[in-house]
Amino acid sequence: MLLVPCPNCGPRNSADLTYRGEASARPNPATTTPKEWRDYLYSEDNPAGWLKETWYCSSGCRRFFAVERHTVTSEFREPPLPGSKTPKPLGDVGGRAVVGDASELEGEQ
Amino acid sequence: MIGTNRGPRYSGAGLLWRGLRKSNWPRVWRDTPLKKSYDVVVVGGGVHGLATAYYLAANHGITNVAVLDKAYLGSGGSGRNTAIVRSNYLTPEGVAFYDRSLALYKSMSADLNLNVMFSERGHLTLAHTDSAVRTMRWRAEVNKLQNIDSSVIGPDEIKKIAPSLDTSPHTRYPILAALYHPPGGTIRHDAVVWAYARAADAYGVDLHQKTEVIDIECAGGSNPDGKGEGAKVTGVKTSKGDISARVVVNCTAGWAGLIAGMAGLKLPITTHPLQAAVTEPVKVFLPTVVVSGSLHVYVSQTDRGELVFGASVDPFATYDMGGTLDFTEELAGHVLELMPAVSKMRLLRQWAGLCDITPDYSPVMGFTPVEGFFCDVGWGTYGFKAGPVSGEQMAKCVADQATPELIAPFALSRFEHGMLVGEKGAAAVGH
Amino acid sequence: MMRRLEPQSGEFIDRSQPLKFTWNSKKLVGFAGDTIVSALLANNEQIISRSMKYHRPRGVLSADYWDPNTTVQVGDEPNVRAGHRLLETGIKVSAQNVWPSLAYDIKAANRLAGRFLTAGFYYKTFMKPQRLWPLYEKVLARFAPGGVVDLNTPHGYHDKRYAHVDVVVAGAGPTGLAAAISAAQAGMSVMLVEHNHRVGGHLLWGSDQDRETAAELANLAKVAGVEILTDSTVTGRYDDNWVAIAQRNHPGVVERLIKARAKTLVVAAGLIERPYVFAGNDHVGVMLSGAARRLINNYAVRPGHKAVVLTANAQGDATVSDLERAGVEVVAVVDGRKGQTISSASGSSKQLKTVITSDGSKLEADLLVTAVGWTAPTSLLNMAGDRPSYNPTAARFFPTALPDNVLASGGIVGDGSLDELIAHGRSTGKLAAQRAAVIQHRLRTTVTRAVKPDGTEPPLPQDTRKPLVIAPHPELYRADTHGMVDYSEDVSSKDLLGAAAEGFDSVELVKRFTTATMGPSQGKLETVNTVAVLAEAKGETIEQVGTTVWRPPYAPISLGALAGRVFEPVRVSSIHEWHEANNMTPILAGQWIRPEHYGDPNAEVANVRNNVGIIDVTPLGKLDLRGSDVTKLLNLVYTNKWSKLPIGAVRYGIMCAEDGVVFDDGVTGRLSENHYLMSTTSSGAAQVWQWLEMWLQTEHPEWQVHVTPVTTGYTSINIAGPKSRELLNRLVDDVDLSSEAFPYMNVRIGTIAGVSNCIMWRIGFTGELSFEVHVPSGFGLHVWEQLLAQGADLKVHPFGLEAQRIMRLEKGHFIVGQDTDGLTKAPTTGLTPLIKLDKEDFAGKPELQWSLDAGAAGLPVLVAITPNDPSLVPDEACQILRQGTTEIVGRITSSRFSPTLQRSICLGQVASEFAAAGTELTMRLCDGSDATATVCTHHAHFDPEGVRLRG
Repeated sequence: MLLVPCPNCGPRNSADLTYRGEASARPNPATTTPKEWRDYLYSEDNPAGWLKETWYCSSGCRRFFAVERHTVTSEFREPPLPGSKTPKPLGDVGGRAVVGDASELEGEQ
Repeated sequence: MIGTNRGPRYSGAGLLWRGLRKSNWPRVWRDTPLKKSYDVVVVGGGVHGLATAYYLAANHGITNVAVLDKAYLGSGGSGRNTAIVRSNYLTPEGVAFYDRSLALYKSMSADLNLNVMFSERGHLTLAHTDSAVRTMRWRAEVNKLQNIDSSVIGPDEIKKIAPSLDTSPHTRYPILAALYHPPGGTIRHDAVVWAYARAADAYGVDLHQKTEVIDIECAGGSNPDGKGEGAKVTGVKTSKGDISARVVVNCTAGWAGLIAGMAGLKLPITTHPLQAAVTEPVKVFLPTVVVSGSLHVYVSQTDRGELVFGASVDPFATYDMGGTLDFTEELAGHVLELMPAVSKMRLLRQWAGLCDITPDYSPVMGFTPVEGFFCDVGWGTYGFKAGPVSGEQMAKCVADQATPELIAPFALSRFEHGMLVGEKGAAAVGH
Repeated sequence: MMRRLEPQSGEFIDRSQPLKFTWNSKKLVGFAGDTIVSALLANNEQIISRSMKYHRPRGVLSADYWDPNTTVQVGDEPNVRAGHRLLETGIKVSAQNVWPSLAYDIKAANRLAGRFLTAGFYYKTFMKPQRLWPLYEKVLARFAPGGVVDLNTPHGYHDKRYAHVDVVVAGAGPTGLAAAISAAQAGMSVMLVEHNHRVGGHLLWGSDQDRETAAELANLAKVAGVEILTDSTVTGRYDDNWVAIAQRNHPGVVERLIKARAKTLVVAAGLIERPYVFAGNDHVGVMLSGAARRLINNYAVRPGHKAVVLTANAQGDATVSDLERAGVEVVAVVDGRKGQTISSASGSSKQLKTVITSDGSKLEADLLVTAVGWTAPTSLLNMAGDRPSYNPTAARFFPTALPDNVLASGGIVGDGSLDELIAHGRSTGKLAAQRAAVIQHRLRTTVTRAVKPDGTEPPLPQDTRKPLVIAPHPELYRADTHGMVDYSEDVSSKDLLGAAAEGFDSVELVKRFTTATMGPSQGKLETVNTVAVLAEAKGETIEQVGTTVWRPPYAPISLGALAGRVFEPVRVSSIHEWHEANNMTPILAGQWIRPEHYGDPNAEVANVRNNVGIIDVTPLGKLDLRGSDVTKLLNLVYTNKWSKLPIGAVRYGIMCAEDGVVFDDGVTGRLSENHYLMSTTSSGAAQVWQWLEMWLQTEHPEWQVHVTPVTTGYTSINIAGPKSRELLNRLVDDVDLSSEAFPYMNVRIGTIAGVSNCIMWRIGFTGELSFEVHVPSGFGLHVWEQLLAQGADLKVHPFGLEAQRIMRLEKGHFIVGQDTDGLTKAPTTGLTPLIKLDKEDFAGKPELQWSLDAGAAGLPVLVAITPNDPSLVPDEACQILRQGTTEIVGRITSSRFSPTLQRSICLGQVASEFAAAGTELTMRLCDGSDATATVCTHHAHFDPEGVRLRG
């Protein structure tokens, strides 16, 4: 199990945290266009490399923090300070809908 | 049917004859050098890519086609899934699409002259809460309207179909009902890959293994490098040499975003591993596929006697296929909730495959803003089931230069318009 | 005819403790310390199993855990490794995969058909006629190998352990022991894990002096404080050295899973002996040198009477002297180092008779021992990212690159004398300890808020170990004949060559096509031979062909051990025991167990409508919000406006995600200037909390708001019905409950039945006059019982979830997640007036703006529906069709028979063209028949004006 470096709690098992996806800036809702907004909602960089992402220390200090992780080697870089501007739509966290009865979701091939 | 039928047909008589003469079968597909130019280059030698190439040749007479795979054929999701097929989806679009796929699977052994061992053993999706029961009924009702054999059954009937399930009412997750789908089942996934590969090869399609795509060459696009929106595809750079081609079909999973990136496109995809595991074999006792959405587990028993398990995708995006211990722990816990009697069976092997997850759990298919660059990607955890129909429809899309009706709902442009596909409609949908 | 030898100096058996057991119902006796295999062989039972496909009789091959020929059924446990499992008194052992018996197996007829049943034959036949394939499939399934699952096997008790150790050492041979000792002497806590029942590795079946050395090392390890686990296996190495250990000898459990975050992992797994491929190599009586040596030295069992030994290394040579000492006549020693090999072995189905060497000599023997080389079990190193490479000099694979926190020692990395191996182990243990210290420092300094401990991070110690030598070993893989490569899958070298000729010519493809290496022995014995035969087929070197990736687990692990005790908590309210004692029918709602009803939900409805009822609504999510910026937060997460909410008022709101989809709803009340209580749906409580925290921490860290979840801090009771005020009044003195002083949609704080600081709000999900009270949960039961006691004359009666669902449907309130789904945008719910687009910002605003700008075009509409036949209750989820077609235009989302209205009532989502009041709808019922229904004017079927709840 991956160790995720929570800046508050130290390295914690990834199961103790909630992944909140790529850290992308929220467009200004007053001036945004459909293209820009839906890019924010749906588009992903999804790199095979360093990815800036948000985690929620859901079983620990309950802080949101941004961190850079390498998506191939699973290394983390020195975490930035908590509280960077990184909201994502709740419905689309890492492919698991949390809208409605999330427990009913499954993957199956 | 194998059109030009270069090689000998497979048959029991053939086995007998070769057994007596002690002679080997000829190569299942040719080993050919990379040509300088192809009409169509398919990236990804899995079920989707090979089926696309096969149907291009068989249905549309386009045979100057190359299929490229960076490893061996079927090395990605096609060989890593748990080989379950079914068509009891939630939306009419989904049902029609997967039903066509199931029909192609059903006749595949005869059509392609290779036994893919389709086992129509039935598929049970368990419901442990009344909201899950409601969703099962929703699916059953939509299915029935399209003449799909699908119904909601109660614990007694479930127990008759799968006696190993604990259907008593006092478990932590009591089994209240199930969606029963008799036409669902399992299939030998590698055989599907080989059947398409062999059949495509017989039409003259070139299959290139260990041939990695390094770049896609484009011109005229809006990006500084000439890629991106408005560009036209001119060729493909590979680890084995350059190819000129005006049509490139991206049939990859896990790397779909990276291949699209080579054409200057960004996709609504995050890549997550999906893990699976298999036990040591025991005598066959589980006659159907059993799925529990609430418990994130699905299980079937192979003809060899192994239990094959799968779960939901890993919670965070990664390209690392190392697998986790927590997956096996959660899996085993939930399997024992359903079938306490298997506690002494042993897990033999675990593995992972990469899944490209889209926001609405539906694929991205057809045209893209780059001319000549087609996508058949974003298949999440259900790509294997859709392999045949995707190949058939992608071939039609490429050959006709028009989007076939069956895949119209899955256009990339839907995200820009906020028109997501309804499979997300109930979060309670099992894929 | 017993094969037990005179006492041996290294024997594990205790001859004073005979143990009775049965083998295929035959009564036999072994000794304590025997494995099942050694006991069987001592009783001259040579055939232990039948092979998977050809049902060839099989005997001992490696006489250890990895032996593919000796898996048996023990009682209700299938696939027991008889070469490893210790004999216990009274166990019932039986052969697997035999029919009707081990000795006379009818399926052995498959052998005759062998040349037609080449690997993958099933892909080439049974295609037509298609309808017969299910029959063929049933026949094929009969050939499934393995034991039997008894469907009455109990779940059993399983446990897990988290071990907090610095260094885990996998393998307790001489190098592993030495590594553990020096790591422990350097101050680290060390766990040493040995797969077998005793530590010492190959020393145990060596000389007396070897065993003395093993005992000395074991003693040193104990003294150094090493925790030694025997009969335990490191089954996996996962991210960041998350190490899994299956412990098989923990009292009281079949197997226990131990998990440890090792700072460093030392892999000293030794070497696994590789079989030789030749005709008859799977014949009963052909075994590996390690098997012969273990049987003789550790179990005092004579492996045969007349032996031929094929040796290419020191272990093979030692076997010769062991055999001779055991009284076995060694008829020939075939030396692989001199280019001699074996061509074939044959005999009857019961015993080996003839061995033919490569120079054509025909030898009579009932035992053929081979010692042709080793496979490095690099599985754990694979899991750490290493891809081993082949070294033709040593005829085995070696690791190439390991991460800093994984070290390998012993046979996996080289050869040497016992002293050299121990020295390498020691230096490895020292390095492991040094690195563990650095990694420990690194882990500590990850915490940014903490004071940096211990100054700057020391550099990672470099690997300065003196490497072990790599000793030459002949490359012996296949003779000039064909034999088994994978015993458990019945895959021969001929099958592999045939598959390669067909084009399945990469190691992965050949594996998939033939199933070689995929059986229960996980390729431990088979992988390298598979690669070697493929290399031969392709005319390439083994190095060019490469090897497959070994995946976890290293050894099979039981599902019970992985599951452990499943911790799936349930939640109950403080009134739960009362519900249980009072005829509750429970229902599971997420983690909560709640009363569905207390006998008759319809009567419960009637009582609420006519008198007064109370319901335990504790699972309702509750968040305590405090701070000067709460209003800003509410304005951001709800679609409606909150700036002017007076103190003492509550308001309803819906929350949308950024895509405009409804994800929760509830009421929030203002308790004082900067203090609010928010309620959420029961299932949404955790998500809403996270949602609020996310906005506060990421987008608006400057806002002053504290969010505290208080869902279970309060017991929540809804008192509903025309007499609810009268009832509550009897318990409350300090709050004026009159309609004037405490109007609908207001909140008060007061004392109920002597319990102060209760929050009361006047809302009405049921459509009746009602008060929802939130009582500090320690007093929940007290207030509940007081309500019942004080209201007896008012006919107060508890009601459950079902009655509430009926009443909310009568009242037309939708439930998020039931009447809405994952694509339902806010306008569908009919609450467009609550979407305030003139607010500066709120979650999901742009999507809702564009949607409403387009007149909510394309969005379905939630409507109340009444079936035209009032006695007909359509099932929830049944579909609404365009009349005369099968086109779906909507669905019923909720339906009940209303005891109040004495008719069926529904909510449903329909396409907008069907949403106008009075529209006739066609419903397709679950039985396939159609029925008509009509769209209603209001969502509320009952009291649409809300007279009752405002009363």
